[in-house]
Amino acid sequence: MPQLEQVEFFVSQLFWLGVFFVILFTVLTYTTLPKIRAFLNQRDDFVKSHISKQDELIKKAESIIENYEVKLNDAKSQASQIINDAKDKAMQESESLIKSTEEKIQNEIKMTEERVAKEKDQAISDLNIQLKDSATSFISKVSKIEKENINL
Amino acid sequence: MAKGESPLKQFEIQPIVDINFLGFDISFTNSALWMTITTAFILIFFTVPFLKAKKTNSVSDLYPTRMQVAAELGFNFINSLLADTVGKEGKKYFPLVFTLFMFILFGNLFGMIPYSFTFTSHIIVTLALAMGVFIFVTVLGFVKHGLKFFSFFVIPGLPVYMLPLLIPIEIISYLSRPISLSVRLFANMLAGHTLLKVFAGFVSALGFFGILPLVFIIALTGLEILIAFLQAYVFAILTCLYINDALHLH
Repeated sequence: MPQLEQVEFFVSQLFWLGVFFVILFTVLTYTTLPKIRAFLNQRDDFVKSHISKQDELIKKAESIIENYEVKLNDAKSQASQIINDAKDKAMQESESLIKSTEEKIQNEIKMTEERVAKEKDQAISDLNIQLKDSATSFISKVSKIEKENINL
Repeated sequence: MAKGESPLKQFEIQPIVDINFLGFDISFTNSALWMTITTAFILIFFTVPFLKAKKTNSVSDLYPTRMQVAAELGFNFINSLLADTVGKEGKKYFPLVFTLFMFILFGNLFGMIPYSFTFTSHIIVTLALAMGVFIFVTVLGFVKHGLKFFSFFVIPGLPVYMLPLLIPIEIISYLSRPISLSVRLFANMLAGHTLLKVFAGFVSALGFFGILPLVFIIALTGLEILIAFLQAYVFAILTCLYINDALHLH
């Protein structure tokens, strides 16, 4: 097995292993790895700050939505209030109009009835007077005739 | 096996440039070459995608390039591994675990390239890495807890008469950590690559029926890539656990 037979190269192998391991270790420790770590940390910070910014924006958006919903609900309730008021007003107005109209009609009916009753009375009294007049004239005429007959 | 070549020949070290320093042979070998490639690749892989990457100032800067995604994936993988096993204190040891994981991972993966060399299949390399981790963790334990670190070997809530038996067992298990850590990686790499080579020998030996071991090799290559990742992961997670032990004792 060359690994155990070539003893003459042990020193050489150890020497070059030491040289290259130390070179690699030193360069990695003092330049390469710190550079990579700094780069990755900076990127992580960037990503984290972006995420926190995003969270803030999301919160803002949520509060805006909440505000909007509150306002929307207010507006809706106001609108329904206005509609209800308008309905009530309209109902009242129409009811009063109906009432006044009914009163007017009733009045007119009453007045008409009174007028009719007056005219009826008038007509009856006129008729009475006429009857009376005709009756007296008839009586006087009859009595005249009787006098004449008697005188004969 | 073609030309009677041993399946272990792939593990042979061949010097490319002979270097002698103060009497020590520190020749630049094929092992060192693949360590160079691995190191260069890791540095390029994790540096280049972030060269042009701008700071994130707007949403349009958030889209990383494909290479950047791959690099971030590796970074976050080790980061979460440490966070899960050690916790917040583990951040300090991130570069160490990261270097270990990437070095072993790409060493293993580049070893899967045909005609390349797998330096993690050499016990001396894995043992050196494991000993490094072991010494680091032990020193860390003593620095954090001083002599109280020895209480690590005393399992709490155990009857006193069991201690003479269990303390030596605990010490042995602690001392065998670097061995198990190094042999696990070394043996996995050795076995996988040897098996691939053996079956590759069958392909040419069986003629037409060589298609069967060929299919097997293809499947095995996939498995080996998985093992390459898995062993690097095991090495890294065990390092994390040892660091956690040293920091929190029990």
